[in-house]
Amino acid sequence: MRSRAWIAVMALAAVLALSSGAQAFDEMKYPDMEGQWRRPKGVENQWDTSKPVNRQEAPLTAEYQAIFEANLKDVAAGGMGTDPTYTCIPDGMPRAMNVIFPMEIIIQPKVTHILIEYLSMLRRIYTDGRDWPAEEDPSFMGYSIGKWIDEDGDGRYDVLEVETRNLKGPRAFDASGIPLHADNETVVKERIFLDKANPDILHDEVTTFDHALTRPWVVLKSYTRVRNPIWVESICPEGNPHVRIGQEVYMLSADGELMPAKKGQPPPDLKYFKQPR
Amino acid sequence: MTRPLVVALLASGALVASAAPALAHHSFAMFDRANPVELEGTVREFKYVAPHSFILLEVKDTDGSSTVWNLEGGAPSLLAREGWTRASLKPGDQIRLMVDPLRSGAPGGAWNAGKVKFKDGRPIIGE
Repeated sequence: MRSRAWIAVMALAAVLALSSGAQAFDEMKYPDMEGQWRRPKGVENQWDTSKPVNRQEAPLTAEYQAIFEANLKDVAAGGMGTDPTYTCIPDGMPRAMNVIFPMEIIIQPKVTHILIEYLSMLRRIYTDGRDWPAEEDPSFMGYSIGKWIDEDGDGRYDVLEVETRNLKGPRAFDASGIPLHADNETVVKERIFLDKANPDILHDEVTTFDHALTRPWVVLKSYTRVRNPIWVESICPEGNPHVRIGQEVYMLSADGELMPAKKGQPPPDLKYFKQPR
Repeated sequence: MTRPLVVALLASGALVASAAPALAHHSFAMFDRANPVELEGTVREFKYVAPHSFILLEVKDTDGSSTVWNLEGGAPSLLAREGWTRASLKPGDQIRLMVDPLRSGAPGGAWNAGKVKFKDGRPIIGE
């Protein structure tokens, strides 16, 4: 009697599963990208890690090379140049993939999430076959559509191809301030895959198409896996001492007052404050 | 501002690595990496926060007065993975550290975890 009831329950469950069109998520079809992914030891946070921090040789147009060089002059004098993230706005794409602090990749059937500890950035890569939305507000992380590829035909996906559009700015490639175009028409294409020889190494081949560039800029980012990681909350506004007022960037003192960051920096304009006569 | 009572002033920037965190999310060019100074003082407060930790350090000036420096360091995301916690420094701790000072001359600067010790020579994080 008990076994008949059990069979009936199982049969009902099977019917319900089939009728709802539900398909079990076969995680064996996907690469194992669990754990924490970090920049390898010794790798800094420049965009092209195959080149030194101060010799990125970005393929910028003449206009944007001039902007970049003006940025370097401002930075040398103590300013922030064209790197906007001192205000705690997110890196956005493609810079987020510098992975200044570690990331986690969570693969689900219809979407892959990338959680980046630095500035608590979140990427959603939709893999449900959807088309680009007709209308979507732009964002720093953009709108990403991806497709899993089984390159070697072994029945298991090994590459996630991603395209990201619909970005907003301002954005730079890295902390040196290499700028992306103010028109924010950037398109980023990626191929994300585990290293064939060492599955604890992850690669992201990133191609950036942008009107600040003379040609698509291709870089290969790599990360190493940590299986038992610690995660640290990173809420930038909590302790950010850098304050932008007008065109000037100041720093807060130990007692919370404004300090100049550059030599000879003027104080802010107090025109909206009633000054004692 | 009177000159802080520094233990040693290292003038040769070519020989000294920067005191600033190597992996800042923004430019640290407002800090003078070529001319680091060594400060010794008393911790007023250790702010273990994103995006960067801060040591508020009371440093005695040459005229006997004191100035509280606002010293920007690595993020908890970096420090935690080197063994630091919010309790690694407490108010009253006497420390000595290398600092890249603000170019403006205001009492601020940058430090990194590899260049700070207790005044008696002990490392901040146990050996």
